Amino acid sequence: MIHDREILTILGMLNNEHLDVRTVTLGVNLFDCVSDDIDRLCANIEKKIGNLAANLVPLCNRIGEKYGIQVVNKRISVSPIATIAAPFGPKGMVAVAHTLDRVARRVNVDFVGGFTALVEKGIARGDDALIAALPQALAETERVCASVNVASTREGINMDAVLRMSHAIKDAAARTADKDGLACAKLCVFANIPQDIPFMAGAYLGIGEADAVINVGVSGPGVVKKAIDRALEADPNMDLGDIAECIKRTAAKVTRIGELIGREVASELGIPFGVVDLSLAPTPTAGDSVGEIFQSLGLISIGSPGSTAALAMLNDAVKKGGAFASSHVGGLSGAFIPVSEDLNIAEAVSKGFLTIEKLEAMTSVCSVGLDMVAIPGDTSVETLAGIIADEMAIGMINAKTTACRLIPVPGKKAGDMAHFGGLLGFANIIHVHNATAKGSFVTKGGRIPAPIHSLKN
Amino acid sequence: MKKVIVTVLANDRPGILASVSEAIFQEGGNLDQVSQTLLETQFAGLFIATLTQELSVEELQARLRKTLSPHGMDVLVKPIGEPDTTGVIPSEPFVITCFGPDRKGLVAEITAILARHKVNVTNLRAIFEGGDDPARNLMIYEVDVPVSTDTATLSEDLRTRAAELSLVINIQHRNIFESITRM
Repeated sequence: MIHDREILTILGMLNNEHLDVRTVTLGVNLFDCVSDDIDRLCANIEKKIGNLAANLVPLCNRIGEKYGIQVVNKRISVSPIATIAAPFGPKGMVAVAHTLDRVARRVNVDFVGGFTALVEKGIARGDDALIAALPQALAETERVCASVNVASTREGINMDAVLRMSHAIKDAAARTADKDGLACAKLCVFANIPQDIPFMAGAYLGIGEADAVINVGVSGPGVVKKAIDRALEADPNMDLGDIAECIKRTAAKVTRIGELIGREVASELGIPFGVVDLSLAPTPTAGDSVGEIFQSLGLISIGSPGSTAALAMLNDAVKKGGAFASSHVGGLSGAFIPVSEDLNIAEAVSKGFLTIEKLEAMTSVCSVGLDMVAIPGDTSVETLAGIIADEMAIGMINAKTTACRLIPVPGKKAGDMAHFGGLLGFANIIHVHNATAKGSFVTKGGRIPAPIHSLKN
Repeated sequence: MKKVIVTVLANDRPGILASVSEAIFQEGGNLDQVSQTLLETQFAGLFIATLTQELSVEELQARLRKTLSPHGMDVLVKPIGEPDTTGVIPSEPFVITCFGPDRKGLVAEITAILARHKVNVTNLRAIFEGGDDPARNLMIYEVDVPVSTDTATLSEDLRTRAAELSLVINIQHRNIFESITRM
């Protein structure tokens, strides 16, 4: 018999605190689809994804109903397209993007990730074609997400790739100028990209993964905030160690739910279960914000002094809770601080609490990086590349994942609003110092060497 | 040897369990299972015992009543046979919770729907303290839903009736509670 109080506590988490399974992501290995004929390659991709994912959405809906927990997003990640379509040029890459978009619509998933290249050490022919194709592919498709890994702790930072990505971002923004540069919201530049992220836009299926796999992303900023509020109401004298313990326990509960549902989806599809990614990923809904957690911890706003320390504690507690609850926690697992997808963080930017420099500082202890940050449309390629390089350096030196999802909003300046719609929300365009500057640092190219602690063998 | 179930109702006070178990022991009964609960001021106990003496059910009931009734306990004894496992229906455990304003017949309304869908209630806790505060009027049903039951229709029927009764209803697989609480 389950105790009444346990039932009521869990119901509170589910019903009032925005606890859901944020995403079930089906990873599909496309290496057996490879062909020297672009039409055959696209047909193979469409057939394989179509077969594997045909029941994904109805199955997730059915299991969500059974457990009374909504699976909000159903997604697909695929092997890095730069390797799958390596023989083809940019035109072929765009054709593959259209194929992915078409099959995503057919099986009714909201995003398909994996329009990806891994270029931390060098840019191969397929990578070159994919990066060249990125602006067109993202502008012409609705559901395709792209990621390019330009740095790692082992290999350093490929500055040629950083500059290429900066050009690609500017071009993608220009092609979707009427939508405030929406294409850039589907593009991440990474350092140390994990192979098993279920969240977009970074999801792709790593080369070391199975033929097909289910990865689950559970979120719950609302649950964590309410848990902190309740604990502090019961004992206003709790210290930060006690609060960290409260976050850890909450994270463990949330992780268990993700694993339960992920394993059932995997079992019903007859494919292996991969990981639970316990990331505190917000939505543009009041009460489902990572930013609000900072206020519960006693800060005036996210971005005010103390925010980096608070985020470090939050991130660590979330990881510890997840690690206890599941043996297969992966992906990113921590706290996202996307600007546009989080009402509170977007507000902190508009009120001046949060600057791009403070965001960057906070990314040294959070899960991801500069995420969904709208910047002035006239930001130069060089400045954009500099911001990316700084973020990659944080990831490289600290042996952690970092990423940039930057949106130079065409025709808009700092303080203007950018609207992306739906889950992507809106953001106040953040001020970038010397946005139009054209310093030569990033154009020198080459590779920033890996740090000494990469020599681990 | 035969099995019996002894039901005891009484105003709660210390010593009821001691008296009942001693009385059953004195009549040659070996306790197999005991379950007791308190609702407000009332004690209710169920005792399954295997009898080692040749004693009819009627005779055992008469003897237990003679011992326990003077102490304010109502006793009923019934025989129980071997469990019938042939008719066991494969099912899944769910937990149904209802909150909302109090009114007469709430349990009857919900259980009627469950019965129509062949859903077996394995545990029910209901608290009706009156008024419209949902926290004061709560029903928690632990149920077994046959795998052949159309759970979407069951959920729809429950939700429709709950809405008519202004109840907030949640229907969830038991695993969700177990996976979180049993680490």
